[in-house]
Amino acid sequence: MECKFVPSVCSYCGTGCGVLFEVINGKIKKTLPMKSHPVNQGKLCIKGWNLHEHVNSFMRLKSPLVRENGRLQKATWNEAIQITAEKLKKISDTYGPDSIGVLVSAKMTNEENYLAQKFTRAVIGTNNVDHCARL
Amino acid sequence: MKSKIKLWLEDGTIDIFIGYKTVKGHPLPHCFTLSNLEEIDELIVGPFRYPLEGIATDIASEQPNAKIGILVRDCNTRALNVLYIWNQLDRNNIKTVTVNCCPSPLKQHGDCSYLEPEKAGNYKKQVGLDSNMDTASLEAFGQEELLGRWMYEFQKCIKCYGCRNICPVCFCKECSLEHPDLVEPGKLPPDVPIFHLVRAVHMAGRCIDCGLCEDACPMDIPLRLLYRKVNEIVLDVFDYDTGTNPDQSPFSVLGDEVTLEPKPLEVA
Repeated sequence: MECKFVPSVCSYCGTGCGVLFEVINGKIKKTLPMKSHPVNQGKLCIKGWNLHEHVNSFMRLKSPLVRENGRLQKATWNEAIQITAEKLKKISDTYGPDSIGVLVSAKMTNEENYLAQKFTRAVIGTNNVDHCARL
Repeated sequence: MKSKIKLWLEDGTIDIFIGYKTVKGHPLPHCFTLSNLEEIDELIVGPFRYPLEGIATDIASEQPNAKIGILVRDCNTRALNVLYIWNQLDRNNIKTVTVNCCPSPLKQHGDCSYLEPEKAGNYKKQVGLDSNMDTASLEAFGQEELLGRWMYEFQKCIKCYGCRNICPVCFCKECSLEHPDLVEPGKLPPDVPIFHLVRAVHMAGRCIDCGLCEDACPMDIPLRLLYRKVNEIVLDVFDYDTGTNPDQSPFSVLGDEVTLEPKPLEVA
């Protein structure tokens, strides 16, 4: 029997509400609001209350998939990154860097988002970068 | 108290103890077990409240035979009584450690986050309902005005389901609040007052007046007051005092015998 409580920050939007995951036997059972957190003071919206659902979802992607002959196949990270890099380079060479756009996510850290925009601007060479939390 | 819990864990009276511990400056619920026995010294008691008995229910649903120790206040005790009655927890598997709660003539000092609820602002007092009111002073408004005031409170709802999710006595697998015929999915704001009344009806004979729902409500809807009113009816009509007794069955509020004659259902 293992039961622990893991404090975390909600990843759905930029507000940064404090959440508490109730983990029983290694599985997140429930998300609770952190009562002493200065941002949300024990309250959450419906997305925050259901934060554990995308962690436990059977649809969750656990390894990279590469489309081969019209079907998605499991691949290693090295293969997937290599294929992505080659294709991006090909598109950029053929149609110009502005033919590529990058959408980043609120479900990753600030630093990762920074890296993503740096990659878009400095490596690909376009300003087409946007974020789902920029509502 | 700490040595008693330690003893219980060591001699196998309980497998797990649910209490509070400070983690990164936040008082958070924590499970103490035999494998982290030294942590029991960090057990704290204070005004913070989480639905500990809800956590116990979750543990019991994973491992029905687990012997659970739990830190309780009066509201937790009432919640446990309701959970025993509804067969969500086995009372033989639960050990409680009672701590200070709401102040009374016998207990001058009390520890509860609800002792000083937020004061209602002027606008809320003018058009809505002050959460600190009692059910008797509600009646003073008169039916029509009271409905208007309740509607003002209900229409603020953002349908976060926080009141249901935090509730220690909400354990149903299928919830009426998710039934598409009663509450239209994806509609925001929800249909008022049906959303709140569906929950209020289900809280009759269930609500143990802990106030966690009101604590968790981002829109400051006086939910505790609403459920208190509903429970008052249950007490007046059926003499059923929710949570005070672990033996009163909710299925026999009308008495032990059925006095109505059984009739076949009329098919419309």
